[in-house]
Amino acid sequence: MDLAFTPEEQAFRQEVRAWVRANLPPAMAHKVHNALRLTRDDLQGWARILGKKGWLAFGWPKEFGGPGWTAVQKHLFEEECAMAGAPRIIPFGPVMVAPVIMAYGTPEQQKRFLPGIADGSVWWSQGYSEPGSGSDLASVKTRAERVGDKYIVNGQKTWTTLGQHGDWMFNLVRTSNEGKPQTGISFLLLDMKSPGVTVRPIKLLDGECEVNEVFFDNVEVPADQLIGQENKGWTYAKHLLSHERTNIADVNRAKRELERLKRIARAEGLWDDQRFRDQIALLEVDIVALEMLVLRVLSMEKSGKNPLDIAGLLKIKGSEIQQRYAELMMLAAGPYALPLIQEAMDAGWQGLFPGGTLANAPLASTYFNMRKTTIYGGSNEVQRNIVAQTILG
Amino acid sequence: MDFDFSDDQQQLRDAVRRWVDKGYTFGRRRAIVAAGGFERAAYGELAELGLTALTVPEAHGGLGQGAIDAMVVMEELGRGIVLEPLAQAFVTAGVLAQYAPQELQAAWLPRIASGEVLVVLAQQERKARYRLDVCEAKAVVAPNGYAITAIKNIVSAGDQADAFIVPAQLDGQIALFLVERAAADVSTRGYGTQDGSRAADLQLASTPATLITTDGLAALELAVHTAIAAACAYAVGVMDQTCAVTFDYLNQRRQFGVAIASFQALRHRAADMKMQLELARSMSYYASLKLGAPAEERRRALSHAKVQLGQSMRFVGQQAVQLSGGIGVTDEYIVSHYFKTLTQLEMSWGDTLHHLGEVSARMQEQAGVFA
Repeated sequence: MDLAFTPEEQAFRQEVRAWVRANLPPAMAHKVHNALRLTRDDLQGWARILGKKGWLAFGWPKEFGGPGWTAVQKHLFEEECAMAGAPRIIPFGPVMVAPVIMAYGTPEQQKRFLPGIADGSVWWSQGYSEPGSGSDLASVKTRAERVGDKYIVNGQKTWTTLGQHGDWMFNLVRTSNEGKPQTGISFLLLDMKSPGVTVRPIKLLDGECEVNEVFFDNVEVPADQLIGQENKGWTYAKHLLSHERTNIADVNRAKRELERLKRIARAEGLWDDQRFRDQIALLEVDIVALEMLVLRVLSMEKSGKNPLDIAGLLKIKGSEIQQRYAELMMLAAGPYALPLIQEAMDAGWQGLFPGGTLANAPLASTYFNMRKTTIYGGSNEVQRNIVAQTILG
Repeated sequence: MDFDFSDDQQQLRDAVRRWVDKGYTFGRRRAIVAAGGFERAAYGELAELGLTALTVPEAHGGLGQGAIDAMVVMEELGRGIVLEPLAQAFVTAGVLAQYAPQELQAAWLPRIASGEVLVVLAQQERKARYRLDVCEAKAVVAPNGYAITAIKNIVSAGDQADAFIVPAQLDGQIALFLVERAAADVSTRGYGTQDGSRAADLQLASTPATLITTDGLAALELAVHTAIAAACAYAVGVMDQTCAVTFDYLNQRRQFGVAIASFQALRHRAADMKMQLELARSMSYYASLKLGAPAEERRRALSHAKVQLGQSMRFVGQQAVQLSGGIGVTDEYIVSHYFKTLTQLEMSWGDTLHHLGEVSARMQEQAGVFA
């Protein structure tokens, strides 16, 4: 048992750190460190910078053009990016759909879709949730009917994150009503510019449109955009969900945000307030414990063991921590978190934020936004069901 | 970065587990509690297994093993809620090996290793609560060494121990001394504690003592950190067992015609217990892995660990009783004993609030496992 990374892993970390320092635009990092609004250009700009280096596909094996990193290297890469203030990698393409295409797509599909994912030129969206299918994903109703060499898709997806920017979309669609709900689902790739696709942004409680409804009205999808076999989509979706288990804890971002919370507490004169400071200390303990849990999962993966019983805990704890730091940041600013000035969350705004501390502008909005974390990706209640299943049967 | 145990550590674990399962049954433990909470023969069996020698340097007849080996052993003892304070051997051997003059090491370490003597830390004073720098015990220079006057409370197995490591003020700073039980003017008053184990008050009145080190606070801190790491590991063993018994019970117990494990309110509680157990296990590893770190880093890490363990122990203990229903509050059922042990562990070596204060006071800009 050893806490230290190997010399090779430490050298790898230094290499990543130096590269990120040299290639991450400071304006982007400034926005991330201050929770200012990121534009599509910011997000895709960073994706392209990574893509050029071959690191947007950081989780891919070498045979598909990825760097072939170990689980530990992937973790270190994500940590270095997070701590430097890099925008998040939008996971739908490189992290979510790509492994499915690699595992179940035809060579033609791989050749057609993977390069655009790896270089960041094609923005992918996820078409899983529906108005009637939240945590109960197997109940999807969006129909795909095979007519000749096409599928005709009708129905509606929702909560499609950043779908307003999307070029392509991977979908779970119903191709059969026979048998169990899971057995009639197919995995279909779809060009969002196809006739009959309508994207309607949903305004969220923080005033932003982070998610969308996507409507399909007789959308024609060439049959060669079906992944694998018809009615086997549930298997592929599960494969997707089994990927990147440690990433879901987002502990690296939590460490960065803890530093920001401490900066805010100092600026608000709370650093010497024992009551408040103890709350930060409790959060710090939580984050160290979560990081240890993540490292244990990585270590088990490294030695070929299945960390199933603890991997399920990562999403629960990670999301609770995200909510907590957002909450403490807002509470630190107190009444000065309350003014709602949307422009103040854009970089470069020159106005006067009430109280004079611009850093307070996004705190309440972030707090409200973060309530999503215990709902999405399988609500934390569903996660507890899964954990309970592993320990109680 | 690797959290696998070596083959040797796995064998060590298996050996201790076998002894706990066969040699330290709940029935035997119950008899030991009834007889006062400490059995020399049981301590002797730990010695026969080589456990008292585990962390003693090889030069002094020990096995020279490290913090992770000690952790493995403590986890297994926790599973059996073993009362005899093996952790005291790790603590006192560690302090002697690192701080005592050679002749003192040569006199005591081989006998600690063999289990012939039990040496325990006697640091608790009424006004100190959990603070290590509060010490009213006084030492003065005497003809053949030093003489100490002190009252120490809740000394582990204090009326059974053969010697004590005692912090006392010497020339305005804390120094550590070794006091033999056989010395003149040593009086002890033994009693049971809530977890069923044994403790004593120790009174010294100008009692002859041997100096271990004048760097007493640093040495005492190392001792307490070793004790915290051991307590964390022991607690993980207790919680592992508590969860196993409780989860089993949920599947056995039937109400309203079904196993109560089918009720979602209880399933979620069990999932939360599992969460607390695994966070605790993670931080127990962390505590033992950081025992060799520089003092300031070690302080932060051990306090982080104790805060997590404290929260986990309270949650797992309380919820295990709750999920067990009425039987959970009976003396007959083992879960109530796990609960009392976990409660006592939370209140040993600094409780959750104390260590939260330490974390709070020592917070730096950056935090994390490697900060």
